[in-house]
Amino acid sequence: MGKLWGLFFAIVPIFAIGMFLYYALVLPSGLLPVNVNARPEAYWIDHLFWVILWVTSGVFVLTALAQVLFVFRYGDRGDGRRAVYTHGSHRMEIAWTLVPAVALFALAIYQLDAWASAKTRIPQVPAPGTVVAGGQAEATVPKPPLAEVTGRQFEWRFRYAGPDLVIGTRDDLFTVNELHVPSGEEIVLSIKSEDVLHSFFLPQMRVKQDIVPGMKQFVWLNAVQVDPVADRYDILCTELCGWGHYKMRGRLTVEPRERFDAWFADAFARQELAVFDPAVAATAAETIDADAAPTDP
Amino acid sequence: MNRMTRSSVAVATFALVAVLATTTGCLSQPAEFETNAAYLYRTERARGEDFRFEPSQTDDVERVLTEWFGTPDDPRAPKIGDLDFSTVLDADRLTMASGAVYSDQEDTKFGLYREHCAHCHGVTGDGKGPTAPFLNPYPRDYRMGVFKFKSTPRGSRPTHDDLRRILVEGIPGTSMPSFRLLKEEELESLVDYVRYLSIRGEVERALIGELNELGEGQRLLPEDAPADDEAAAEQKARVLTNVKRILDRWAQAEQSVSPVPPRPAKFDDPEELAAAIERGKAIFHGDVGNCARCHGTTALGDGQTTDFDDWTKEYDPLDAAVHQIYVDQYDVLPARNAKPRNLRLGALRGGRRPVDIYWRLANGIDGTPMPAVLTKPEGSPADVTGLTPEEMWSLIEYVRSLPYDELNDPYQAVPANVRERP
Repeated sequence: MGKLWGLFFAIVPIFAIGMFLYYALVLPSGLLPVNVNARPEAYWIDHLFWVILWVTSGVFVLTALAQVLFVFRYGDRGDGRRAVYTHGSHRMEIAWTLVPAVALFALAIYQLDAWASAKTRIPQVPAPGTVVAGGQAEATVPKPPLAEVTGRQFEWRFRYAGPDLVIGTRDDLFTVNELHVPSGEEIVLSIKSEDVLHSFFLPQMRVKQDIVPGMKQFVWLNAVQVDPVADRYDILCTELCGWGHYKMRGRLTVEPRERFDAWFADAFARQELAVFDPAVAATAAETIDADAAPTDP
Repeated sequence: MNRMTRSSVAVATFALVAVLATTTGCLSQPAEFETNAAYLYRTERARGEDFRFEPSQTDDVERVLTEWFGTPDDPRAPKIGDLDFSTVLDADRLTMASGAVYSDQEDTKFGLYREHCAHCHGVTGDGKGPTAPFLNPYPRDYRMGVFKFKSTPRGSRPTHDDLRRILVEGIPGTSMPSFRLLKEEELESLVDYVRYLSIRGEVERALIGELNELGEGQRLLPEDAPADDEAAAEQKARVLTNVKRILDRWAQAEQSVSPVPPRPAKFDDPEELAAAIERGKAIFHGDVGNCARCHGTTALGDGQTTDFDDWTKEYDPLDAAVHQIYVDQYDVLPARNAKPRNLRLGALRGGRRPVDIYWRLANGIDGTPMPAVLTKPEGSPADVTGLTPEEMWSLIEYVRSLPYDELNDPYQAVPANVRERP
């Protein structure tokens, strides 16, 4: 029976590795959704994913093999021998504490630049009134957000700053579950929550930010245009925020600047609708065709 | 393990599976519409504190409703005499929205109402789904046929677009989220199903009202009434008149959208706009508009705050003892006051478009203490009470300016310790 248990334990690593290979090779997208963010941190996040995946896979295979081998080799042979108990080995304890610690510390240092790029190096614009010489501004200020994202049970509300680039003024555009961004530009989004913890996730942009009520935060991205007309991706909530968590799904549309401006003007005109014309009213509350599935992958 | 324990483990496992199966759905009863027990009690109470209709009579209400409207799994757009409800209810859409949640091989989704709506609005559309008690405001009870945010005059039913718009945009400031990502036909079917539940609820109320006309031992719309039974024929005619009234109101909704006079073009001039906002402020506080009475002099919604909406008023919210009977025995949610909106927050439930605000003012908000403002044509004499289109638009511009008033500047209000990074 003992040797059989060894084989039984082997099922777990074999199954896990098999599933992994299946998804990596069979799924058209591979393991990761398409990456369409031109910012350096987006590349780094994918790179770190693979590095960590290889390291942990190696450790997983080794430990799984060791486990199977030990059970197979030292299982009860039915010859009446009793187990020997040990209080362990000091040397080995030090080894298996230090090796992961060093590995984790190395990863922590290795990823510092990605973290800084994603969380602290907000895109800059020349400060008002400064001289821009040779593409280099004397002084810069953080780029003003394109829009404010408000997580709410259970929807995403967006408030575009509008032409004056200030959120909270009369030229703001309000949308629900519908975020449009121009491609090929550094975009800053200001993020807050109206009620509970949410997490704003743009999988294809490698952007994810937990949202804490009462705390204003920023994310930034630089979307690459894949389809010349418009790319559509999912917006998700990745923090279990209540019974309707699954409903917090929005649609991100990446489009060239001209198309974005046209969309903005059109949406703003609809928001300012002050005549009742049945034909206009019918188009006033447009849905997003969820069937025109996300461009991914 | 000996044979004894093995068999008891098997028995216990079987018992556990059986209990789970019966309690979690495998063998559960099909969904049923619930009787409007609170309204029934209210009708009985109006006749006397201890008065009760005969059980056979209240059963008749159920029977007639099921015969006409079907069940949650098999809803019908009824054809009652020559009243054809398929003019306002599409049978295919009802099928798509009703029943249990599933999707077919082409990924067409069914049971949409139960997937997206029922946990708040309830299977019956009574606004008493399992999550309802935790929400403020409570979810809407459709069964009165009254809807707040619409383009038609007070007392009229909402148009198809009005209901659809609520689904697409959600209602800011409430727990109603946006369903913008649903497919077009899914939205359409949900709109029809909401209308179905609403009509069914209204017919139920009419039938309960009809019980008042029944004598002792008399039945409601008996199936086996002889052709020469004059009382039964008379009763049927009366019921059909009431049902026709319900159908007509829904059928007329599409044609009864209130016209919106154009916003004066001169308001595009900033100086004119500023002057209009000032005039609007005067109207807000004046005798004709008198918005300040409820919305407060500063528009913070802190004026008259002790009123109730029509859904609550049915259940005697002012008589605590009686209201408690409704809450304890008839599953009515505890009464809450209808709060006038704080207009400075910038979240307008019925929508932020100028036309939305126009309709809110000109039509009032059905089911709430918000009245329709009196309007009069441009150039009417000053002694005629009412607001001219230009005055209406001035008031709208004032309301639209409130969220941007310097008094509530969000930048001044941001606490110093709010963390902004970097």
